[in-house]
Amino acid sequence: MVEIGSFIKLQRTKKEMTQGELAKGIVSLSYLSKIENKKTDASPEIIQLLCTRLGIQLKDGFDASIQEKCKQWYNMLFEVNDKEEIITTYNELQEIMDTNLTDSLLMFEIHKIRYYLILGKLDKALVKINELNEMADSFDNLHKYYWYKFRGNYNSASGFFSQAMQLYKLAEEKSNRIDIEVKEIADLQYTIAITHSKLRNTLEVIEYAEKALDIYMKEYNFFRCAQSHIVLGISYRRIKMYEKAIKNYNLARHLGELNKDKQIIQLTNLNLGYLSSAKGDSKDAIHYYLQVVDDPEVEQNARLTSLTALIKEYYSINEIERTKEMIKKGFELIGTKDVEKHKVHYYVLNTYSYAINEQNNQFEKIVINELIPYLTNHKDYANIVVYANMLGNHFEELGKYKESVKYYKLANLTYEELVNL
Amino acid sequence: MKKMIATIALGTVIVVGLFASQSSEPTELAGELEPSIFSVETPSYFF
Repeated sequence: MVEIGSFIKLQRTKKEMTQGELAKGIVSLSYLSKIENKKTDASPEIIQLLCTRLGIQLKDGFDASIQEKCKQWYNMLFEVNDKEEIITTYNELQEIMDTNLTDSLLMFEIHKIRYYLILGKLDKALVKINELNEMADSFDNLHKYYWYKFRGNYNSASGFFSQAMQLYKLAEEKSNRIDIEVKEIADLQYTIAITHSKLRNTLEVIEYAEKALDIYMKEYNFFRCAQSHIVLGISYRRIKMYEKAIKNYNLARHLGELNKDKQIIQLTNLNLGYLSSAKGDSKDAIHYYLQVVDDPEVEQNARLTSLTALIKEYYSINEIERTKEMIKKGFELIGTKDVEKHKVHYYVLNTYSYAINEQNNQFEKIVINELIPYLTNHKDYANIVVYANMLGNHFEELGKYKESVKYYKLANLTYEELVNL
Repeated sequence: MKKMIATIALGTVIVVGLFASQSSEPTELAGELEPSIFSVETPSYFF
């Protein structure tokens, strides 16, 4: 049975009632406080009175159908599913939860974190996390598993991958003590693999992606198989096992083509572009990047990543006109509405634009005040080296040697930090 | 200006090259992108 104290507290907060309003004529304020904080067990009569005041019915034998509906909704909480359908089912469930005392309530509340993340409402997800944090002590192992996982998801979505990893590891620890479906285990392993990749823990990526892939193959989940091959491709590229990287990318592309999935195909092209660039093959890199940039069906972030990579590639081979063309395209793609969402790409576009047009003040301002602090905040050491070095060169050109040394030094120190990772 | 661009470009190439050998490129900006953790489809059958 759901912890009654937590339930009453949750419903009272949701209905914006004070403890005094709820307790009036039923129990003393301090006694209600004890009930809510699980310091006492109230009699069934008192619980009944409090629930009635909160407008909640106490029904028996209703839980199985609620649980089933909840499960359906939980399975919908992925980006590819229809958002309208997710919202409609959510509203139906919320109505049931508001008027019934059910075992599924806490799990439903915890899944709201994921729900808000899928809808892209990070602020609401954080509010929910803070709200649930107060009652986290009463969670059982299954609750805790999802509590850790979804908080990890929140950190992943916010770009804080170290924190995300800590939470995924706690979820993994809990997963050993509970009975969960094999596809859920695979989802956590896949999520951990992606997070390790963000943190550049290459060997761990391979370990987790292989484990997830093994399950996805047995489950015939070819979409996730393709995604696992992509992250494996990235890892093998990082340890310079190019043949293995290309093999994994080709497998991902093959699965993408069979499924006619443009996102998978173009994500493969994007990463093949990077592999070519790392090997010093600019021509191939540009070929792959252009396929992504020129495809309007591709998700905006992948297009922008490809575009900024293309700008760097053209700039490095001194193709200034093509660089300008891509910068223009980048600004068009971001538009005016999405600047905040794609802040880092916006900074990069401006950085190259100012550098090419010799707008020295603006160039210095954006790199020093915006781009480097952003990269520092996200521990993106490699790019700090790139842009600190760019600044060093810039000041050297202007004969400002003191400033120049400062940024070359930053580049060197950051590089040292990077190789120690 | 051309000299500056060439210097920056060369610097960037050297640094990027250096990273390629040290296997430490960032994912956020470097043009290498992982799939999303939130996307999944129901199992697909091709046969």
